Amino acid sequence: MNLAMLKPGEKGRIAKMGAIGPLRRRLMDMGVLVGEEITVEKVAPLGDPIEITVKNYNLSLRKKEAEGILLEDPK
Amino acid sequence: MTAPTAARSFPVVETAVLRVAVAGNPNSGKSTLINSLAGTRLHVGNWPGVTVEKKEAALEHRGQRIALIDLPGTYSLSPYTEEEIIARDFLVHDRPDIIVDVVDATNLERNLYLTLQLLELGIPVIVALNIYDEAEKKGYKIDVKAMEAALGVTVVPTVATRKTGMNDLLEAVTGAIAKGSRSLPRSQSYGEDIEAAVKMLTAGIVDRHPALVERYPRRWLALKLMEGDRRVLAEANISGVDSLMKDAVGHLREAHGEDLESLMADARYSLAAGLTREVLQRPSVRKTEMTEKIDRVVLNRFLGIPIFFAAMWFVFKMTFDLSAPFADWLDGAINGPLTRWIEASTNLLHGPDWLVSLMTKGVIAGVGSVLVFVPVIFAMMFFITFLEGSGYMARAAFVMDRAMHSMGLHGKSFIPMILGFGCNVPAQSGTVLWSLYVMGIVLAVLMGILFKRTLFRGESPMFIMELPPYRMPSGRSLAIHTWEKGKHFLIKAGTYILAVSVLVWFLLNLPWGVENKKDSYLGKVGSAIAPVFAPLGFGNWEASSSLIAGVIAKEIVVGTMGEIYVRETEKKPEGPAPTFFEDLREIGTSFASAGREAFTNVISTVGITSLKAEEKEEEATLRSVVAKSFTPLSAYAFMAFVLLYMPCVVAAAAFKHEFGTWKWFGVAFVYQTILAWSVAFIVYQGGKLFGIGG
Repeated sequence: MNLAMLKPGEKGRIAKMGAIGPLRRRLMDMGVLVGEEITVEKVAPLGDPIEITVKNYNLSLRKKEAEGILLEDPK
Repeated sequence: MTAPTAARSFPVVETAVLRVAVAGNPNSGKSTLINSLAGTRLHVGNWPGVTVEKKEAALEHRGQRIALIDLPGTYSLSPYTEEEIIARDFLVHDRPDIIVDVVDATNLERNLYLTLQLLELGIPVIVALNIYDEAEKKGYKIDVKAMEAALGVTVVPTVATRKTGMNDLLEAVTGAIAKGSRSLPRSQSYGEDIEAAVKMLTAGIVDRHPALVERYPRRWLALKLMEGDRRVLAEANISGVDSLMKDAVGHLREAHGEDLESLMADARYSLAAGLTREVLQRPSVRKTEMTEKIDRVVLNRFLGIPIFFAAMWFVFKMTFDLSAPFADWLDGAINGPLTRWIEASTNLLHGPDWLVSLMTKGVIAGVGSVLVFVPVIFAMMFFITFLEGSGYMARAAFVMDRAMHSMGLHGKSFIPMILGFGCNVPAQSGTVLWSLYVMGIVLAVLMGILFKRTLFRGESPMFIMELPPYRMPSGRSLAIHTWEKGKHFLIKAGTYILAVSVLVWFLLNLPWGVENKKDSYLGKVGSAIAPVFAPLGFGNWEASSSLIAGVIAKEIVVGTMGEIYVRETEKKPEGPAPTFFEDLREIGTSFASAGREAFTNVISTVGITSLKAEEKEEEATLRSVVAKSFTPLSAYAFMAFVLLYMPCVVAAAAFKHEFGTWKWFGVAFVYQTILAWSVAFIVYQGGKLFGIGG
């Protein structure tokens, strides 16, 4: 299960950050951390990127990056 | 960077200039705050060696001289992005006396993450709790006293857009020096494990690397070593497997894995979250906010793209409406009176003919084409500033990223593309060319995908971008930013344009005393590349020479063709030249009518009337010139090529400005030239196939 698989309006909790290097640090600096709850708000009209809410603000990232963000399995 | 002035104590002498660095997240209203503090005393330049903007201002408050230095907006002080490296190098090596940390009150937790990193530096910090009005409107209750107590720093609520709290902020800044070292922030605890490691590392560094302690704040150094910060490790010449590191962080690695960078991010964020819980009370029922409502429409699956194009069309139309009358006015003033004056004064000084020609056809023509861009650039910068300040620019990048990305470009690339389009604005107003432009866009996407698959298969820049809430930019910051951007841009573009104009003049007039333009260097180059354009129907040296000259600005293609075709014998019949004062009066009255025209243009656009297909003078010239050696079909192919081929010097400057390297301009250059060739080819050969013109 990863972030790219969520549909608009769906939520998930981050289990693992797959990205490496600058990208990973960048995401972490912006509050995308293990244990954080993330909501997918929208998908761009052309299918990519996506808009998410994290730490009470809106962030957009590409699906390729979202695929590296693994989510906890829903209980 | 300059030599470190580290370990400097606070200035006791009153007259010493207090160096205040302003740090904060992007979208925290930092630049508005700087504008409010500095007003017209703002000086905008670049950080050495990079294209990141550096703003500075000299102020005085209660007799205390203050030098404000704006740091790039950052989310963190990591060693990865250019902005972050600039900010932290300045903080660590140049050690300002005080840091003003601009915190977005509506987004406390993420902003405090940076605040905590600033507190690690051992420099007094003052928090400007900005956008305070919006936080109140959202029903947020922030306990400022509790925040001060928890952070150990002064917190000043501010609303930079309305200049609220600016005086309190300056009071806090000057007050902090009076307190001396007592104004140093309390160091925050990241938890027992980490603090134990920091303690060991600090002791170890003092013991074994005394030179480092001179250069860096101790706690910061220890934390960075722990994070495995590659820049600090390299500068300090310490390896991650150093025995000191092993001793100090070994148990942390055992407990938390090798990745101590994310351990630290976690530690800072949990502290920031804790602080936020302590000081911030959110209303229990969350209202649907304006931003959400707007985004439902603006980012809608079906409406998002049409809205983007509508917004861009509106920007172009308004830019053109506002600037065209003034551009025409400038054009008239330069080509008429100014040229005459220069000619007359050069003749008066008995200057040789070639000097008159260089001045009027090289320098004045070059300066003229820069000046004609002035109204266009300022109008365009105004709208771009508005789109950026309001928050729509981020949405536009969001909507367009997929298309741009498929061309190997970043979502934000449409900004220089818009500016590139600005190259065409003075040269084309006719609706005929819109058809070509639309065709160009469609082909651009298709070819971009092809390019991405074949030539540029590398990584495209990362796209992790905040979508800030919509905000109305204040008139004041709109004005300042428009002015700064426009000025900066024109100085850069102007330099290139002038240089290229003079170069083209020389190419057209060398070897010395060349009679036939075909034998000039430009003519020779034109002849050499002419066969490339043969399949497009304009494989003559005149056309290809003009295209080379067109790198300055597209309407120069017309001018150069005019100069090539119109031989010396064809002198325009002239009446008696108007006097200097008649000229001046004429310039004045035509300026006034340009103002009126711009105004009515804007009114008519707002009233949504259809595009006026105006027959412009240049187009008429182009048409008459072109008729001499072109068929209607090859002329159309030629116009298509002119419209689509490489972005002009202005666009080149825009690309450099936006991305800091020439690389993306190179990509666009190759790409657009091939695109233009293909479109012209299709137009010409396709047309012939259908038996049009030929």
